[in-house]
Amino acid sequence: MTAQTVPAAKEAPQPRKSSWKRTALIGLSRYGTIIGLLLMVLFFSVNAPGIFLSRANFLNILSQASLTAIIASGLTYTLVVGEFDLSIGYVASFVGLIVTGLMAYEGFPIWLSIVCALALGSGIGIINGLLVTKVRINAVISTLGIGTMLTGLGFTYSAFPIATGIPRAFTDISLGRVVFGLPNPVIIMVVVLLALWTVLNKTDIGQKMQAVGSNMEAARLSGIRVDRIKIFAFATAGFCAALTGTLLSSLLGSGTLAAADGYLLDAFAAVFLGSATLREGEFHITGTLVGVLILAVGFNGLSIFGAPTHFQPIFKGGILVLAVGMSALARRYAASA
Amino acid sequence: MSAIVSAADAWMRIRGLTKSFAGELALDRADLDIERGRVHGLVGANGAGKSTLIRCLAGVTSPDQGNVTIAGDELQMGSPQASERAGLAFIHQELNLIPHFSALQNMLLGAPKVTRFGMIDWKRSGVAARAAAERVGIRFPLDTKVSELSVAQRWLVMISKALTRDASMIAMDEPTASLSEPESEQLFAIIRDLAAQGVAILYVSHRLEEVLQLCDKITVLRDGRIVSEAERGALDKKGLVRAIIGHAIRTPDERDRLAADRSRQPVFSARAIAWKQAVKEVSLDLYKGEVLALGGLVGAGRTEFAHLVAGLVRPEAGHFELDGKRLDVANVSEAVKAGVALVPEERRSQGVMLQQSVAFNINISTLKQLRSVPGLPFLSDAKSRRQAESLVAHLGIKTPGVTARIAGLSGGNQQKALIARWLNAGTKLLILDEPSRGVDVGAREEIHDAIRALARAGVGILVISSDVEELTLLADRVLVMREGRITGELTGADITEARIIELSYQDAHDDQGEAA
Repeated sequence: MTAQTVPAAKEAPQPRKSSWKRTALIGLSRYGTIIGLLLMVLFFSVNAPGIFLSRANFLNILSQASLTAIIASGLTYTLVVGEFDLSIGYVASFVGLIVTGLMAYEGFPIWLSIVCALALGSGIGIINGLLVTKVRINAVISTLGIGTMLTGLGFTYSAFPIATGIPRAFTDISLGRVVFGLPNPVIIMVVVLLALWTVLNKTDIGQKMQAVGSNMEAARLSGIRVDRIKIFAFATAGFCAALTGTLLSSLLGSGTLAAADGYLLDAFAAVFLGSATLREGEFHITGTLVGVLILAVGFNGLSIFGAPTHFQPIFKGGILVLAVGMSALARRYAASA
Repeated sequence: MSAIVSAADAWMRIRGLTKSFAGELALDRADLDIERGRVHGLVGANGAGKSTLIRCLAGVTSPDQGNVTIAGDELQMGSPQASERAGLAFIHQELNLIPHFSALQNMLLGAPKVTRFGMIDWKRSGVAARAAAERVGIRFPLDTKVSELSVAQRWLVMISKALTRDASMIAMDEPTASLSEPESEQLFAIIRDLAAQGVAILYVSHRLEEVLQLCDKITVLRDGRIVSEAERGALDKKGLVRAIIGHAIRTPDERDRLAADRSRQPVFSARAIAWKQAVKEVSLDLYKGEVLALGGLVGAGRTEFAHLVAGLVRPEAGHFELDGKRLDVANVSEAVKAGVALVPEERRSQGVMLQQSVAFNINISTLKQLRSVPGLPFLSDAKSRRQAESLVAHLGIKTPGVTARIAGLSGGNQQKALIARWLNAGTKLLILDEPSRGVDVGAREEIHDAIRALARAGVGILVISSDVEELTLLADRVLVMREGRITGELTGADITEARIIELSYQDAHDDQGEAA
């Protein structure tokens, strides 16, 4: 984990004085985001002890973080295989609308509506994957194109929010606290992230995804079906986006156009913050979770201190550039020190 | 006319240059004199310190100790700008050219340009570049895009670029790695010419014949130290090899060549394979136990043939047989399943996954066998580690551990890891395209031993190499390809560099036939 300092050979010159610096810089590049998160928690705890430091507020932070964490983890998969998915926010909005529509207009039972919603999201992900791998459209273009189409399709489906005819039990999904008194979305997040982490790190397909992301040509020559792996990653991203969209509709108690569009940027911010965490520029689930928490704690702190909401994007963009930039700089100095 | 040089006071004096990485000495008090007007060869195994030395000169790496003076002035270390101002130019194996720019644009990239009223005066800026192009004998138009140039032509662009900046020393790293024989000869002529004009050339190469033939002085590095320094003619190839690896290696005559039993069914056969203009009616049989090699020039269709066998592309005509059964695969994945694997030509871009560990790189093609429970997709860390460790030990891969990143390994050890990838994968036919490109002589011998052991163990081995010497060292049987066809077969004592080259050029221009 940490840089090993090999004992100097007999005839080696004086160990360089900068080697502790090097270790510190490598440490900063890997743990900088985590240190930042802890510093933020410390700052808010000291300055707003009564409000920030409470069980209720922590649960609040976690449930806000959970929807972002789910969609961002799906996005992480596409980035692991070296692709991109700009449609996730639109998928979440679209599916969030459809899932309420299925209950309100078509009279589907809750479970069936959710199953359809998740299948729809995965399906859109598969289409993205096919466009990228088989038709070979650049991922930025194809996912942006699909996303834009979904916005229009959503509008066609229902120009107005779907708020009536949604069963109470559906809104209870996100409001309930079934396990240990924790909000359900938090539990769902834990389950989803654990599953995604396990698949990525402990299974064939996860290793293959990492291989494809490291060197696509080498992966192909190793006998890996690169296209399938990429499609799987896109499908996962679509599934996670659909789940976030469904939970958001449950939370809002309605299906609203463009409700989840903003998750795209949050997810990207979180994933890139995460790529600067523990590893050097690689995308991974643990990192993504840290990234999501940084954003959530930051937003929470800002609102506690009564900062106007337009401070949120300033914070979001600022912390992203700062954290990723610092990590990159630290890595570079460590390499040249 | 070469510059007037006095041995006591060399043009460039490198003194006590020392650099360590993570406590390990990469360069240990290196002293070196470089003269203008001479070609100075720098050889050594991978990791011997050549690149560190060059990186220090280029200002990319700061040495821990030591200094460099050029014509009496001390060179500021650790500054690429200072090195460039001092007239040092560096041409790396991966040529730093922008493919979409023209040759001229590339030559002028980053160079101080003539400006008028703050605007670049392209016409006058180009004057120096055009003069440089003339000096190296560029015959193609300078507005040709680099992407349309051959590798040899790109080298000429890089050299002109250096000359455009008045370089007084040009360091070249493995210039002939992807050049054909005549292209290399052309490059050597230019290098000699440059030296005659007073440019110092620092020539880094693993191809020892080349170095012996070209260089006025040769410096050998081993484990970060300068172990030998010789004027032209003072060292022969054997002496050079011994200096590089510290002991002698076997020569082609000492190798045993296996004459495979051809009465038995071949492990692998190709029947009248054709693909576009590159491969024309190629038929061959590969017998159990033998190392079969495809020789010939770059562009003879050998790599394309390998790609056809490995499933990257499908042949337009003909078919393959593996163990007597027809082999018809739609993609690489099916080929791998059938037992055909390719260790590709471009190690970095097609072979290793650089950010990943040694174990990851070795295990990636055998994931199914590494599951904790056969039916479930979960991998066993213990099994993965055990397999990687046993293969690392088996092939003698030098690595701090199987969890170390493969990027930290030398080229030779990375190549061994790529071979290890296929040892437990049920591979019946292993194709190795340029298995020892950019690998030092010691590692090359180890790779050869591993390949031969695999062949004797019953794996079909098909080697492709442009390195004629490698063919003579490794192959039991050589098929020479030219312009998409197999033009000759050599076995036993017939496998000599001269015969292979002769067949490679057969029917081509007469004056090229005798290059050996």
